[in-house]
Amino acid sequence: MVKQAKAQSASKSGGDNFTRWLVIGMVVLVVSTGAIFSVVSQKSKANESFASLDGFKVGAAITATVDPANGSGITINTGAVKTIDLWEDPQCPVCNTFEQTNGQYIDDLVRSKKANVVYHVVSFIGDESVSAANAAYCAADEGHYLDFHKAMYLVQPSLENSGFYTTENLVKIGKYAGLTSQSFKDCVTKVSKLDLVKTAYDSMTTYKVQGTPTVFFNGKLWERKNSGFVLDEFTAAFEAS
Amino acid sequence: MKSFNNKYQPIITLVARLILGGVLFTAGALKAFKPSESAGATAAYKILPTDIAHVVGYALPWLEIAIAILLIIGLSARFAAVMGTVVMAVFIAAIISVWARGILIDCGCFGGGGAIDPTKAAQVHRAYLLEILRDLGLALCGLYLYFFPYGRLSIEKPLQVIEEQ
Repeated sequence: MVKQAKAQSASKSGGDNFTRWLVIGMVVLVVSTGAIFSVVSQKSKANESFASLDGFKVGAAITATVDPANGSGITINTGAVKTIDLWEDPQCPVCNTFEQTNGQYIDDLVRSKKANVVYHVVSFIGDESVSAANAAYCAADEGHYLDFHKAMYLVQPSLENSGFYTTENLVKIGKYAGLTSQSFKDCVTKVSKLDLVKTAYDSMTTYKVQGTPTVFFNGKLWERKNSGFVLDEFTAAFEAS
Repeated sequence: MKSFNNKYQPIITLVARLILGGVLFTAGALKAFKPSESAGATAAYKILPTDIAHVVGYALPWLEIAIAILLIIGLSARFAAVMGTVVMAVFIAAIISVWARGILIDCGCFGGGGAIDPTKAAQVHRAYLLEILRDLGLALCGLYLYFFPYGRLSIEKPLQVIEEQ
């Protein structure tokens, strides 16, 4: 104890102060170099995931409306006999599984006008869901919601709020989905659709939606029997509805 | 107690350095090369705005590694111990904060991280408690090192000791 106390007083001398600053400097250097390395590798990883969008086929533009009456869902084919209400969060991994299984079938239903599909883009997973949901509404305005939706799930990061759904990357996803206009870019950058994003999120309570993905056929909640998603089950449920 | 400490202090100091340094090094190394995981884990605490949380997530593993190396080799051990204790205090505060706000997450302490679904609430709360106790123990190691930074197998030795030899 005594020795250590003396050592402490000795360490107040000029020489040791120099060592201390040297050490602090080295720590700062290591930490900042490491952080920069992390940011750079993060960027290159994002670029890699965009590679999966190479050759993405953009479909024809489709008019979508946003109806406050149904919780500001992105609504396509109003007036069709059958209705599908789809509740999804852009970051939810299970929604991605759902999309990879049933997405193409639903796209076909929309494009062939066989169903009135309402996409409720909700954002309860965090800030990045809000940004992505906003971009989804921007895409709907320009008639490319389906393409944006598909592309967005193709590059969905496995981790939530990990810095992937940035303005820059959302604009980039849009580019692949045929959204090259300045108005789309502005809409994403300025988060112009925040009101709609909020209304959609708040409507979860009204419709008693507790998680995503949730599907309603003609207003009736779909309860699947299989633990995973099976296309045949979904198709049959739609046909029966 | 005092004489016990006098007798074994250099060894206790070494052990404390290796425990705190070892845990920090492992935690840092497991996360340093998975930046998006680390950034996501930090954001999941919902304490900092997402952008700032990401930067913290990128830098934190490297800070842990830097502190760990200083502790293990015994260079500026007192300074490193203070840093280590502060980091542990921040971790404890962060876990208490998520617990109090009812957020369920994997702490991401050794990689991983992110939200956990509500069905596992009991397990998560148990994990929070264990994490707080663990970090408390590590903070105590740091505190001990603040008072007794010089021990066995250390690069830096107190000037007094060098003079005596």
